[in-house]
Amino acid sequence: MIELKNVTRRFGETVAVDNINLTIETGEVCVLVGSSGCGKSTTLRMINRLLSHSDGDILVDGQDITTMNPQKLRLNMGYVIQGTGLFPHWTVARNIAMVPRLLKWPKERIDARVDELMTLLGLDPAIHADKFPQQLSGGQAQRVGVARALAADPNILLMDEPFGAVDAITRENLQLEMLRIQQQVRKTTVFVTHDIDEALRLATRIAVMDQGRIIQHDTPENILRRPASDFVENLVGKQDRGLKLMSLRPVRDLMTAHATPRPPEAGAEGLKEEDNVRLALSVMLWRDLPQLAVINARGEETGFITRDSIIGAGA
Amino acid sequence: MATPGHVSGQALPNRVIPALGLLALALVWLMELGTIQPNRIVPGTGHGLLSAVGWLGAGLVTGALAGAIVLSFLSLRRRYWLLLGVVGLSLALMPLLLDVFALRHLPENAPYARSSIGAGFWCLLFLLSLMLIEILGRLRAGRSLQLMLLVVIATSWLLLLGAEGLESLSLVREFNARPDQFEQALRTHLALAFGAVAISAVVAFLLALKMIRSPGWQRPILGAVSFLQTIPSLAVFGLLIAPLSALSSAFPALQSLGIRGIGWAPAVLALIAYSLLPMVRNTYVAINGVPEHLVDAGRGMGMTERQLFLQVRLPLALPVIIEGVRITTIQAIGLTAVAALIGAGGFGGFIFQGLGEAAMDLVLLGALPTIGLALLADALLTMLAASLRPTPATT
Amino acid sequence: MRVWLPPFLLILLLCGLSLAMPMLEPVFHWMQPDKQSVIYDRDSFLFLLQNHLMLVGISAAVGTVAAVAGGIIATRRSGRDFLPLISQVASIGQTFPPVAVLALAVPVLGFGEAPILVALILYGLLPILRNTLAGIEGINPAVREAGLGMGMSPLQVLVRVELPLAGRVILAGIRTSVTINIATAAIGSTVGARTLGDPVIAGLVNGNTAYVLQGAILIGLLALTADSLFEALERTWERKVSPTATVA
Repeated sequence: MIELKNVTRRFGETVAVDNINLTIETGEVCVLVGSSGCGKSTTLRMINRLLSHSDGDILVDGQDITTMNPQKLRLNMGYVIQGTGLFPHWTVARNIAMVPRLLKWPKERIDARVDELMTLLGLDPAIHADKFPQQLSGGQAQRVGVARALAADPNILLMDEPFGAVDAITRENLQLEMLRIQQQVRKTTVFVTHDIDEALRLATRIAVMDQGRIIQHDTPENILRRPASDFVENLVGKQDRGLKLMSLRPVRDLMTAHATPRPPEAGAEGLKEEDNVRLALSVMLWRDLPQLAVINARGEETGFITRDSIIGAGA
Repeated sequence: MATPGHVSGQALPNRVIPALGLLALALVWLMELGTIQPNRIVPGTGHGLLSAVGWLGAGLVTGALAGAIVLSFLSLRRRYWLLLGVVGLSLALMPLLLDVFALRHLPENAPYARSSIGAGFWCLLFLLSLMLIEILGRLRAGRSLQLMLLVVIATSWLLLLGAEGLESLSLVREFNARPDQFEQALRTHLALAFGAVAISAVVAFLLALKMIRSPGWQRPILGAVSFLQTIPSLAVFGLLIAPLSALSSAFPALQSLGIRGIGWAPAVLALIAYSLLPMVRNTYVAINGVPEHLVDAGRGMGMTERQLFLQVRLPLALPVIIEGVRITTIQAIGLTAVAALIGAGGFGGFIFQGLGEAAMDLVLLGALPTIGLALLADALLTMLAASLRPTPATT
Repeated sequence: MRVWLPPFLLILLLCGLSLAMPMLEPVFHWMQPDKQSVIYDRDSFLFLLQNHLMLVGISAAVGTVAAVAGGIIATRRSGRDFLPLISQVASIGQTFPPVAVLALAVPVLGFGEAPILVALILYGLLPILRNTLAGIEGINPAVREAGLGMGMSPLQVLVRVELPLAGRVILAGIRTSVTINIATAAIGSTVGARTLGDPVIAGLVNGNTAYVLQGAILIGLLALTADSLFEALERTWERKVSPTATVA
């Protein structure tokens, strides 16, 4: 758990972060969102003491971070930054092994861990371990960045616009990847972005920041349904909120389940249970179908979802 | 920025080789290939290509050049490899021309008679080297191929020059007259140049660190070292004489150490002063130029400042620092030659003695090894920098 | 125009000292009481300064014209074939020590002013050529394309876009070239050119420290003057021609 209590950061005369209070529960993904210069990165960098805070207290698992050795503190926090920050003079494997080596793990353990992480992130160790960062695509490099942050199994993950420098398609893949990994590892994550869609997709809770203050701290659904101010309302987009809410809701919620799962009809295309409702509606509109089958992870058809049920449920 | 001649095409006609080839043909026929001198000082009689090496030799030279020109127009796939063969072989066998020349023209029973190299030979050597550079560039030759070629050509030259026929070559005569002095000059030259570079590397590293720790020092330090660099070498050597000789006459103990107004002491001091600018600038730029986000990433993941410096900043800066060492070393090798004017020894001694005696071959005996040393240092340090850059070029 | 003050003062000092050196005789006498002649008098210092300047000036002018022209040709479409070779030669050539180049010019051209001039021109060409190539190649291609795309002729793009943008880098190359050539011309005394190196060489040969000092001081001053002139020129260029030159 990370707690920020009345935290302020001043740069000379200007106040970058203005008396904020924020609690990030263990295992949740807290996304700090706002336009550039709103203080979100500053807030993140105060948590691992890359910046010191001018006033207030920051506690990690109840302990005041100013009483801790900054290196020790950081070794227990994965850190991913925009443009990866991979060291160009080290191979992929050496980059991932960075923190375990700093912690002086035995070599076999490091090697095993590097393999494990590369596999977790969908990189083949045999192909990529000995490459240099420049030889990777943007998406691959960013995966290595995440693997490096996870290497020593830290309790906390700090991510500063990690997917800001990759193209839209790669970004979406990385976001899905991150959701998958987060389900497995459950790290307490602080994630900074200026992209509200990314925030809505990844966050357990979102903290909207503006001019150094936290305007609203709530779940994605509540941010959409009950924006605290005009600022938040504009940020989430006044008019397509309906669709955004749909994209937060899994198909599972609105489907009509069969009594028992059955094998899917041959050739029929179905949705996955965890696909979102917005996608379901889009597929039905495009293919002009009143309903679609829903398939579970084992490939069995577990039910169906209808156009009417989606429209009827509303936003 | 792909240019057509570069990417798609090994098969496109090349205009550079024919241009160089035609120039070489013209110069080698118009200028003197060599001269025969009755003794060391008396000016000799020059011989053009035909007179020097006869129809067969002239035919071979012309044939090789014409062949290269024709080859570069043909659209063969292995064209550049063929060209490499022709030009490389020509370069390797060039001393044979001198050999034949000496055999044909050197009078018998004239122990002081000597043959010397003429402008035509130098032009041919120069233009063939340019062709070789061009061909290697088009082949995108790797370091190993370049090195191998260099070794083959150098070995061939050494073997041919060491062979019987070329004893009469004035350059060889000058060398044979003073092998010990030559060795001594080589040793002094290397000691002065590398000693100065080593000392200045340490000083420059400390200065660069100082500039990084306290940015207020940046302007005064850079100002001082670039001031030193601006003053011409001859002036620095001259200006050091008075204070150093005053110092050594005030403290006779210094004299016994060899510290006097002239000699190695002012030479080393001046060389260090000159070496500081490229060293300090490159070291500073290199260490300071390590992208801040990388340092930040390292720090954010828990590296201590010491680890950051040793594991991130220094390795990333090293190629640029070595580049500074390379510039400095080349410069120091050249300036050491000037230092001979104040009695520091080295190859400059031959140059200035030769100029004083109007003995051009002695000048060459000093100038050619100086150039050779500079080129060698350049090649070695370039390779070192390349090998320290572990990241292959971005694809 | 405060940037022009230091070069102006240095020029005054240089000329003044060249004229007034004989007046400093008592000072040099005090330094070297045992020598009869303490002021170099084979030529006047002003003459040596003139000659030194002339050598450097001619070589800089010829070198600049040749190198910039060569750099422009090699970066045009028609001359692109020659670009790799020319840039290689420009960088390899700079590893040749200037003294050695000077020494090599003598066997071919003989003693006197001619070999020096040729050596200075050839050697001085290289840094200018290298910087011209770097300056022009360093221009963002988008800028060039924008010029062409908006209807400029290639000549207009060269004169109005490329040269102004690369000018600062070319100027830096000329500065390097002149700095090196002032030093090389001084050493040129050893091959028979009459420059400010003469008193130094004469002093070294005769063991007359006063001569050495006089030559060395004037050479040093000349170099500083030239350097501060270029400094002022670069500052002015920065302010007037391309305040925010976007050369990579």
